[in-house]
Amino acid sequence: MKQSALLVHPFGARYAAALPAADSARREARETLALEGLPGPKREEWRFTPLRGLAKIPFIPAASAEDIDVRDIPADVPRFAGAVRVVLVNGVYRADLSDKVSEAGLAIMEAKTPDHDVHAPLAVLNAAYMSGGVTIAARGVVAKPVHIVSIGAAGAEPAAFHPRFAVAVAPAAKLTVLETHHGLPGQPYFSNPVTTISVGTAGVLRRYVLVREDSEAFHLATTVADVAADAKFDAFHLGLGGALVRQEINVDFVGEGAAVRLNGAYALTGRAHHDFTTFMNHDMPNCTSSQVFKGVVDGESRGVYQGRLLVARHAQKTDGQQLHKALFLSRGPQIDCKPELEIYADDVKCAHGATTGEMDPDHLFYLAARGIDPQAARLLLVQGFLADALENVDDAAVHDILSAEISGWLMRKASA
Amino acid sequence: MAAKQETAAAVRDVEQYKYGFVTDIESDKAPKGLSEDIIRFISAKKNEPDWMLEARLKAYRYWLTLAGEEPAWAKLTYPKIDYQASYYYAAPKQKLASMDEVDPKLLETYKKLGIPLAEQAVLAGVAVDAVFDSVSVATTYKKKLEEMGVIFKPISEAVHSHPELVKKYLGSVVPYTDNFFAALNAAVFTDGSFVYIPKGLRCPMELSTYFRINEKNTGQFERTLIIADEGAYVSYLEGCTAPMRDENQLHAAVVELITLDDAEIKYSTVQNWYPGDAEGKGGIYNFVTKRGACRGKNSKIMWTQVETGSAITWKYPSCILQGDNSVGEFYSVAITNNHQQADTGTKMIHLGANTRSKIISKGISAGKADNTYRGLVRIGAKADGARNYTQCDSLLIGDKCGAHTVPYIESRNPTAQTEHEATTSKISEDQLFYCQQRGMTEEEAVSLIVNGFCREVLQTLPMEFAVEAQKLVGISLEGSVG
Repeated sequence: MKQSALLVHPFGARYAAALPAADSARREARETLALEGLPGPKREEWRFTPLRGLAKIPFIPAASAEDIDVRDIPADVPRFAGAVRVVLVNGVYRADLSDKVSEAGLAIMEAKTPDHDVHAPLAVLNAAYMSGGVTIAARGVVAKPVHIVSIGAAGAEPAAFHPRFAVAVAPAAKLTVLETHHGLPGQPYFSNPVTTISVGTAGVLRRYVLVREDSEAFHLATTVADVAADAKFDAFHLGLGGALVRQEINVDFVGEGAAVRLNGAYALTGRAHHDFTTFMNHDMPNCTSSQVFKGVVDGESRGVYQGRLLVARHAQKTDGQQLHKALFLSRGPQIDCKPELEIYADDVKCAHGATTGEMDPDHLFYLAARGIDPQAARLLLVQGFLADALENVDDAAVHDILSAEISGWLMRKASA
Repeated sequence: MAAKQETAAAVRDVEQYKYGFVTDIESDKAPKGLSEDIIRFISAKKNEPDWMLEARLKAYRYWLTLAGEEPAWAKLTYPKIDYQASYYYAAPKQKLASMDEVDPKLLETYKKLGIPLAEQAVLAGVAVDAVFDSVSVATTYKKKLEEMGVIFKPISEAVHSHPELVKKYLGSVVPYTDNFFAALNAAVFTDGSFVYIPKGLRCPMELSTYFRINEKNTGQFERTLIIADEGAYVSYLEGCTAPMRDENQLHAAVVELITLDDAEIKYSTVQNWYPGDAEGKGGIYNFVTKRGACRGKNSKIMWTQVETGSAITWKYPSCILQGDNSVGEFYSVAITNNHQQADTGTKMIHLGANTRSKIISKGISAGKADNTYRGLVRIGAKADGARNYTQCDSLLIGDKCGAHTVPYIESRNPTAQTEHEATTSKISEDQLFYCQQRGMTEEEAVSLIVNGFCREVLQTLPMEFAVEAQKLVGISLEGSVG
């Protein structure tokens, strides 16, 4: 690799020295990290999301900071009624804030070591300094959903943490997981979660992710999912801000007849940067994948969608769809979009679409003609635009939570 | 699935290359390899002014700093090119003053290519600036065009006759620092066409050039510069065929287009160079930088390309839409077969207000070929009311080929609208069945469907080319049944 592709970053010897001695898995990852570094702007997958800003901040491991004390769940964290709540503060499982698990078929354990190799630059960083995490295993139909709450906070110095999540859905099992990421204002913190997912044969996993980090925070999440034959993986990701947020989701089709829906939305103000990067690896015949991402950008924010869809030579009868729609709310933001198809099988149906633009003046006029003032009309239209994306959320309770989050974002924007 | 196999077999016929022959003409060659001396040799051969030599050397020195690092981002694999193993200058020996003096052998070559020069000029009203290897040997209709103020001549002549225009515009759209191949071209380009259309003139005839790589082991480095002054219009046609040979040949052309206020350039290409044999042996490596700058208000640049040849195609005809209300259009059909690889597309850079661009790309992949559309639509912060529409469709014939779409959309202006659509499919059994039910043979049906698939692009070609292009698509489908 060319030297210019590397980035000098704060996760070197000084960072490691603040932590106890590493086990073999972490040591290996640290060696890789020292060798490969963090991706620089010349790395194609990172061209729209530069890490220069992140690399300039002298993070310390959150675990080594003694001045961070989070005793309660912040009031603005949504309540998911009826769910088993699992709380992590700075990437470390907090039994005192979490619910006890007594649900049949559901096991939640604290994760200690990075036991899966995930080949992505940020996942290497995660493995090198993994701070903690949880492993969730489901057998049979699990009635109660799981709500993972991740809270980030820094003390006097910027702090970083690297949690691991593993979600395993056994064959024919069913599970719903909501993951919400929040933080406390103050010095910037950097959340670097890695999630490994496996959905067994004919299993069903519904995963919903909300990223509403503090406006100074960094959140670079990597998810890898294996989806087995006839399994269903249904995901929705909502991004409502952070200084730099990337949600990277890689899906491997490991059995025939699997169906994946990967949807999302983002709403950004100020200088927020949000990146959805997806990779659908169609390596099996007769699988379907569908992606719909919608975003609104305001202020000087930047929205990114990069989707890669790979259909292997033998993955005949693949149905793969990608759609990204972005709406500008003002002058100043930027939208970057790269939907990519790489197809080696002929009997497939693959398509992608992408649009950017501002609000249709006809729509505004329609509402204005009915006596709605322009400001309210705009909010209404933005809400409608995002609500449309939420239609893909099947779980009614989660739908309401995310819908309320979008309303909250609009209120904050209107009052700003 | 008989139809599929037969269609695959049909497209394989592209390889039955009609124009595989070598004309033997004594050529005046520079020694093998690339160095400052070779560049001085080329420059001296052309009796160039000092500023031109300086520009070449500057580009060459820059190229050296790239240390052989060719762009690696395209979806192409090919063996490392040894730039020292090529000849950089080869010219037919005789200098020619008129058509009568043209070597009969050369004329015969053109005949085989299907372009009887004199006949074509009279019959089709097309002025042909034919490039044989690297030096322009015959220019027709020169006088007629000259009377109207059109300058249409080899760029090596324009350097002498119109140095102010060449100085002003050469390298202004594609600077030598643009990319590896543009730097190489700027250093060693041997010839190409220069066109200047004066203010307010609608060029009454289609201008065309035939490029042909002939000398063994000769890289072909064409340089084309077309300027349409205020209110001018020109339609320029470029078509190419090349003789069959085993060694890979490098071609790195640069084409620059400039339109001033209210001007329009229509640039059409049919590219049918030797694609290599069924095993992927031989074939042309085609690394081309084509770019147009819509500098003036209400100006327009339209690229149409039909790409059927070359082992490697690396080509992104682009538009920089600087003038307000300027328009860029890109229509492309790329057919790849056997081991051909094409990575082609466009860039539409919207800088001015109310600029509009349209991209229609049709990729057809057969055999073991890979066909990639790679495009960029960038809307600058000042491009109020800009509009882009992109449509990329890929057709896969057989299950050993690949079709890829890599669009980049970067928008910084809220009032701009971009739309992108892409689909990948195969010829549907239903369509085939429907046609066959109405008495068509399978081959006719496939031909009809593929022609329909490309129609949007083919119909943008000028008449002369449309016929050739349709034939090309036709040839590729011949013998697919029985």
